[in-house]
Amino acid sequence: MDLSLTPTQADIRAAARRYLDDRCPPSRPAEHAAELWPELVRTGWLDPDLGAVELVLLAEESGRALLPAPWWATTRAVPVYRAAGAELPGPVTSVDGTGSCVVRDGRLHGRCNAVVDARTCAEIVVAADTGDGVALFGVRPDAPGVTLTDRPGPDLLRTAADLVLTDVVGRLLLGPPAAAPVLAEVTRRSALLAAAEGVGVATRALEFAAEHARTRVQFGRPIGAFQAVGHALAECYADVEAARSLVYRAACAPDLPDAAHCATWSAARAAARCGETAIQVCGGMGVTWEFPLHRWYRRALWLEARVAAGPDPVDAIAAALLGPETVEGTP
Amino acid sequence: MRLDDSDEERAFRSELRAWLRTAVPAAPDGLPPQWTDGELRAWSAALHEAGYAGLTWPVEHGGRGLSPAYQAVFAEESALAEAPDQANVIGLNMVGPSIIAHGSEAQRAHHLPRILSGETTFCQGFSEPEAGSDLAALRTRATPVPGGYLLNGHKLWSSYAHLADHCLLLARTDPDAPRHRGLSCFLLDLRAPGVEVRPLRKLSGDDSFSEIVLRDVFTPADSVLGAPGDGWRVAMTTLAHERGTFGIALTARLAVQHARLRRTITAFGADRDPVVRREFAELHVELEGLRHTGYRALATLLRTGEPGPESTVVKLGWSRANQRLTALACRVAARADHPWYAHWTRERLRARTNTIEGGTSEVLLGVIAERVLGLPRSR
Repeated sequence: MDLSLTPTQADIRAAARRYLDDRCPPSRPAEHAAELWPELVRTGWLDPDLGAVELVLLAEESGRALLPAPWWATTRAVPVYRAAGAELPGPVTSVDGTGSCVVRDGRLHGRCNAVVDARTCAEIVVAADTGDGVALFGVRPDAPGVTLTDRPGPDLLRTAADLVLTDVVGRLLLGPPAAAPVLAEVTRRSALLAAAEGVGVATRALEFAAEHARTRVQFGRPIGAFQAVGHALAECYADVEAARSLVYRAACAPDLPDAAHCATWSAARAAARCGETAIQVCGGMGVTWEFPLHRWYRRALWLEARVAAGPDPVDAIAAALLGPETVEGTP
Repeated sequence: MRLDDSDEERAFRSELRAWLRTAVPAAPDGLPPQWTDGELRAWSAALHEAGYAGLTWPVEHGGRGLSPAYQAVFAEESALAEAPDQANVIGLNMVGPSIIAHGSEAQRAHHLPRILSGETTFCQGFSEPEAGSDLAALRTRATPVPGGYLLNGHKLWSSYAHLADHCLLLARTDPDAPRHRGLSCFLLDLRAPGVEVRPLRKLSGDDSFSEIVLRDVFTPADSVLGAPGDGWRVAMTTLAHERGTFGIALTARLAVQHARLRRTITAFGADRDPVVRREFAELHVELEGLRHTGYRALATLLRTGEPGPESTVVKLGWSRANQRLTALACRVAARADHPWYAHWTRERLRARTNTIEGGTSEVLLGVIAERVLGLPRSR
């Protein structure tokens, strides 16, 4: 057993951190956003051969820096293009439209809410029911019959839109039966990389607060010397490290039935808790618009909402441990 | 990064598992067995005979020269098998390595083989009535006399002292030196005249703790471990020997508690209660988070010789999770009139110790704040 980074993995993380510290400093969140995508492609962030641990490290760093590029949305859909033998057409996003999107006479109909980065991507991967099973289509956001309506959310750096498809021609990427396992893989990657991002978000929020606590002087000493402050941040550290461990576990052992759920739940919770404690410790500064911390808290709220909108991970863990829940009173 | 054992670790683990299956008697009622003093002593001897004593000690000192990874496997598997406590855990995991690091040739030759065989059992004499979290406040005096020292003082919270014949004792040899400097470490023979070991009963009713009263106890000069006046440093390295693998034992014990809680929950249908299901699942997340944080700290220890900073959270989280787990178990067992209610009540009472022993939660949070997060000292 060796739950530590190999030298290559440590190098990947260090290089990602150096790059993001340089390109996305907290003072200028999206200044270089337009130039980032080709740089990410060139430096291998979209490499289809990246393993789960390497992806998790990049996702962690992207959360720590709040990378203003549609990397998360794209990376989760990479297995679709790989399985289809198709080139990635640029930044993409994906949505599971099973149950709400259908294919009739080769054309797509239906709607999907809150599609992340839908406006900025080159193609939206839509999973739709064909009658013979699920298929994955590539839909251009500007194709005839596609309507996008902005959906306001807490996170200003990660926008979403509601997608309506009316008689839309999409390109078939994967049909049944090949599409279903790839869609499941996309769903797993979405969850794992969102959890890893949450760890990065929590880490950065804690860094903001610790830095403030080291330098902000009240009553004649740095406020971090007060145990009420120091202990609150130490509790955050404990939350972050547990979440990080669970994300690494999920990356190493994807087949454990509870691993992804544990990672998802603990990372979303750590991100929200660290964001909230960090704002509290940063005091009056922490509640201003100018102080950058709220952007990380907003991402934490987005992550929390993402978890809340899906199947409850804690229920899923309980089911894995105790069997399915039966109605109270039935034997 | 990988979660599975290496081939060598896997072989060691399966051999150990097979041995534990035959060596640890199964409890007929599914509850953890209570061991007598005689059984605890016999367990120490059995471990030595089977080659599981001194796994990480160098070969030239009678150990097997294995890396801490194997000590971690041993701690984990022993806890999962609910093997008896190692009554000589302080001798094997703390005193022995310290004697190897700081001891004289004569101390090594005398103590090491006896610690390995279980002939000598050590306890620890650090805490005192006025020196708990603030260990350097200790007052036990070691006054130089011809040929050695006279010890006078009072030690508390010494686990298994009633079984021990030796004590790793921290005492003040120079009352005029700054408080961390005037201390020395002793390998004290508890059979010396003037030593009185008295059991302390915990709120749970257990009496595996003792206090040690020292009245004009003579100990020879060659019982000082390390240089006189260097006791603080020796004591700190003693404590450091357990870091990195101790957390693995704690989380394995928690896994056993969690599995027993699952049996309690299903036995009386509490698995249909959504509140119980939720809290049980949350405890599982805590447990797995701590377990894998322990693995990360161990991996850093193996790579660098020092456990990673994340090791600081394991004991903190374990103690709270165990308290929460035993509280849930009590509620479930009480409601269902479960035969294990008495067991869970005892475990819950015992768990109050967890957030105090081996560094209180408050001290640990302070350590994280200062040493990991780099916040200014609070005192």
